[in-house]
Amino acid sequence: MLNFRMIAQSAALTLGAALVSTAAIAYEGGAVAGGGSIKGTVKFKGEAPAQEVLDVNKDKKVCAVGEKKSNELVVGADGGIRYAVVSLTNISKGKAFPEGESILDQAGCEYLPYIVIVPTGSELVIKNSDGILHNIHTYSDKNKAVNRAQPKFKKKIKESFAEPEMVKVTCDVHGWMKGWLAVVDHPYYVITDEKGAFELTDVPAGEYEIKVWQEKLGESTQKVTVAGGAEAAVTFELAAK
Amino acid sequence: MSKADEEKKSYSSVFLLAVALLLATAIWIVWDDQISRRPWKKYQYEFSEMQIDRAKAEVTAEQKRLDDSSDYQTVVEELREARQGTEGGETGAAISELSSREAAARIVFDDADFDLRLVKSQIEEAWYEFEHAELMHVDTTGPKHHLEELEAKKVATEARVAEAQARLDQILNEKEEIFSVVETLEKQKKEMESGLGRLEQNVEGLVIPVGPFEFPKIPKIQQVVLNEFDRNAYNQPLARVDRCTSCHTGINKDGFEDAEHPFRTHPDRKLYLGTHSVEKFGCTPCHQGQGPAVNSPEQAHGWVKHWLDPMYQGDDVQAGCIGCHDNVRIEGAETIALGEKLFEQVGCVGCHLVDGYGDLPKIGPYLRRVSAKVDADWLVDWVKNPHEFRPRTKMPNFYFDQAEAEAIAGYILASSAKEGEEWLASHPAPGGIDSSDAALVAKGAELADSLGCRGCHGLAPGESPALLGDSKDIAPNLGNIAEKANQRWMYHWLKNPRGYSPEARMPSLRLSDDEAKALVSYLGTLGEPAGSDDAATRDRLLDADNVAEGEALVRKYGCAGCHNIPGMEAESRIGVELSVFGSKPLEELFFGKRTDIPHTWKDWTYNKINEPRIYETDRIEQVMPHFALSEEDIDAILVFLASRQEAKVPEAYKLADRQREQALVDGLRVIEHYNCVGCHVINDQGGAILARYEENPSLGPPILNGEGAKVQSDWFYSFLKQPVPLRPWLKIRMPTFGVSDDEARKIVEYFAALEGIDSPFVHIDQAALSPEYVEAGKLLASVDYFSCYTCHQQGERKPEGPEEGWAPDLAMASERLNPDWIVEWIKDPQALMPGSRMPAFYDFSDDSPDGPDDVLGGNDLEQVKALRDYLLTLGSMPVAAAPVVADPERVEPAAMDQGTDGTASSETSNAAAPETVQVEG
Ligand SMILES: [Cu+2]
Repeated sequence: MLNFRMIAQSAALTLGAALVSTAAIAYEGGAVAGGGSIKGTVKFKGEAPAQEVLDVNKDKKVCAVGEKKSNELVVGADGGIRYAVVSLTNISKGKAFPEGESILDQAGCEYLPYIVIVPTGSELVIKNSDGILHNIHTYSDKNKAVNRAQPKFKKKIKESFAEPEMVKVTCDVHGWMKGWLAVVDHPYYVITDEKGAFELTDVPAGEYEIKVWQEKLGESTQKVTVAGGAEAAVTFELAAK
Repeated sequence: MSKADEEKKSYSSVFLLAVALLLATAIWIVWDDQISRRPWKKYQYEFSEMQIDRAKAEVTAEQKRLDDSSDYQTVVEELREARQGTEGGETGAAISELSSREAAARIVFDDADFDLRLVKSQIEEAWYEFEHAELMHVDTTGPKHHLEELEAKKVATEARVAEAQARLDQILNEKEEIFSVVETLEKQKKEMESGLGRLEQNVEGLVIPVGPFEFPKIPKIQQVVLNEFDRNAYNQPLARVDRCTSCHTGINKDGFEDAEHPFRTHPDRKLYLGTHSVEKFGCTPCHQGQGPAVNSPEQAHGWVKHWLDPMYQGDDVQAGCIGCHDNVRIEGAETIALGEKLFEQVGCVGCHLVDGYGDLPKIGPYLRRVSAKVDADWLVDWVKNPHEFRPRTKMPNFYFDQAEAEAIAGYILASSAKEGEEWLASHPAPGGIDSSDAALVAKGAELADSLGCRGCHGLAPGESPALLGDSKDIAPNLGNIAEKANQRWMYHWLKNPRGYSPEARMPSLRLSDDEAKALVSYLGTLGEPAGSDDAATRDRLLDADNVAEGEALVRKYGCAGCHNIPGMEAESRIGVELSVFGSKPLEELFFGKRTDIPHTWKDWTYNKINEPRIYETDRIEQVMPHFALSEEDIDAILVFLASRQEAKVPEAYKLADRQREQALVDGLRVIEHYNCVGCHVINDQGGAILARYEENPSLGPPILNGEGAKVQSDWFYSFLKQPVPLRPWLKIRMPTFGVSDDEARKIVEYFAALEGIDSPFVHIDQAALSPEYVEAGKLLASVDYFSCYTCHQQGERKPEGPEEGWAPDLAMASERLNPDWIVEWIKDPQALMPGSRMPAFYDFSDDSPDGPDDVLGGNDLEQVKALRDYLLTLGSMPVAAAPVVADPERVEPAAMDQGTDGTASSETSNAAAPETVQVEG
């Protein structure tokens, strides 16, 4: 028979170990001298699927502004995948986080942008530009699940996340609304543009593991070597699962 | 030998021998009495030493901590400096100067004070002179003048005293200022050392100081007396004496978890000893053993010949729980809880009577109409060895040979032929079932997935969603159902299980005809359909001799203990009663010819369950069947059986709230009977099906933790009798179980008891609600504020968008919800139902206001109360009236749901079911 106490204890131990290891590799940001950059694209392998058209069936006056399409898998004309998250997995020292706050806007019953990068512990500003009720409902493994209403009169609320992970955001009022928060513990994260292109700048010279994450296609990693003042090139190819 | 010789003879050697013998015996007596039969003395000394060592180590550690603490060292250093400062240097000089000034000021003050007292007494005298002169009628001018002079002098002297006092005070203040630094530091130091002081006191409490030496305390017997706990042979109360703590010194102390026995702390001390204080309960009420014995561990633990209650170890201790707890589904009693559950549900109660478990429903299927259900060849194979077809079935293996199995199958088919035929006559074969129609089968599979069948049934071999222990399934695995049951039966069973068996635990899912046909088409693909010539086999089995032989076997093996069989209604249990089986002496257990099995109660019983015919001999036949239980399951059943003791615990030691206990036991039986926990989490248990809804828990069946505090009892009762869809977005369907009035009441009382609610009734007086609050609530719910109706329904007012985006009908709140719960819910929905789609509109974890500032002064809590009050005014929907269903064709006439036996109500949402008005049983 499973012993609840044992599970709780091992969970606490794992958590403790996780905390210790996170503390041990806490990222240190500062000025980077003589760094290089990584430039590349994320491409779709196979025949690109069409973007699904979303059914806007509620609050149409505000929400039905033009046709809404799912951003779950957006493949450009040349096979580049938009909204993939590219990051370095093994960096503990490098550039500082960019200035300014992270903002997630709910406008026209869509999340803008679709993926927001949120440094751990920092404040994410969540705006409601629509003047109707939305709610912020997050799904995550490591962070506490959030489900907060943002009625008309609340133009702005704030939320913060302690652990790095990809957090899904939905609105229970508008079933089609979906977005992502990339909660990150270092600044070497970038989201691909409509051509699937990305660039990581000010990377200290060295060897890295670089990872791409895409919500439908999963993850893939590569090794990359960055030389000072040079530009390293990386291409990812992701196929449908 | 002469007398003289006798007198001269020396007896010194004999005398010496006698003395030596006497001395040796005396020493032996003392040694035996004080040492050899007092093992506890040694343990207490050892433990004392251990405690003293620990306490001293703690003192040393604390001392080291202080020494290493820079804060403490700073304080010590500052204090030393401050003290030194007062003794010399500038501060020292200032202090001595102040001291001499103080002395001088004191002289001035004393002088003035003396003068004042003097002048006061002179005034007294002058008054006398003056009054005397007046009385004698002589001239008063002189005395009066004298008096006035003195009064003036007094005023002047008072001024002098005040001035001297002020000067002195000033000097004292200056002095104190210098010393206050020292005082503050001293106070700080003392505070930092308080822990050390406490620890030092600990050490002092453990030793007896004699001059410069310290000795451990003198050991003595420790005992707990439980007055009137036992009864003697004449039923007179006896006290029970437990001396276990004489050796188990650390049992109720933290910090000895890793110590050797007998010093070790009780496992889970807070849980077990926190709720059962050693002073009140002692040890043996749970552990057994020989409480007063202290001569040796073997004696104390009752591990000696002829002691009837040897000590329980490990999980076996849980056998002691049930003496005081009627309800053992509690933390720390998991093993006996499992044992009890298995005993109730595996079928033990079918053959063995146990007090308190005698009136449970039969656990096996209803066989009065079974001829209409099963394939004849399948039935023979099944009777022969059920585990072959369904390894995790509760039906045990009776080791029948082919002839016996055929005889029993023959009797079962023959006895159920009449009622089976009648049932078939009113349940025609439906058209439109086709297991080769891929689309239909796919639709059925989708329904089986989404309606909630997997809350109870595995749909593939090896799939076990509802576990009974770890070797049995609560409901049959349907992975090969096509081999067993015909499709006509399946269709009518699915549509209305109670229409076939009035005892059915399987609920009605209120299926439409098309849904039922799709499901049966799908079930027809699970396993190889029976390919035998059913009619030919039946003919053979129904041979009169075969049937007669079968009837004798059915009686002999007690099949009617678990099954309802025509003609067997009067059969009684065939097994021995087990009400006090735990007290059964070893001599009464029959080991047959087995010499390889250790002669203990536990070994006998384990082997009996594991291999029921193990003690059979040529003369003694045994009939108990084989249940194929895992070792853990058998162990759990053993704990339950061990708890069946002759001795009864006096009321004073039982859990005080008997009514609540009874409600928990009764309610849980009903809940387990219908396997409510297959879908719902109740009291943190069950809800295995929720694993299928991890992506979006709000699409799974609702979690019912805290339900007793959430819903009103009247509503809950009506809902159980006749469920209505509350959450239109759910595909999984709350079935209609057709619970009886009694069962529904027990479930309601169970949930109330879980929440510790005595009287689960609520009355809402809508007229008494404050109109101001109702208005404020209405405003808050409006589109300008929280916009509740964007998702919630309110009676006929439906939200925009598809049903899966809707939220419950707020018009039901006043009928359904407890007002206090509404407040807690709005305050923090995720706390009450993790994963709920209902967002939090407020955050009460901090003081900052979250609600709009123009309603009720921006007070969050008052706004929540206003929302509650508003909800309570919303239209009330008669619960027992027509249920809200998506498909209007499925709504029954309201007159239909009045069946008190709970049968008719299971039909209410399916007008097409042929047995709609048929009341069974
Ligand atoms: Cu929204």
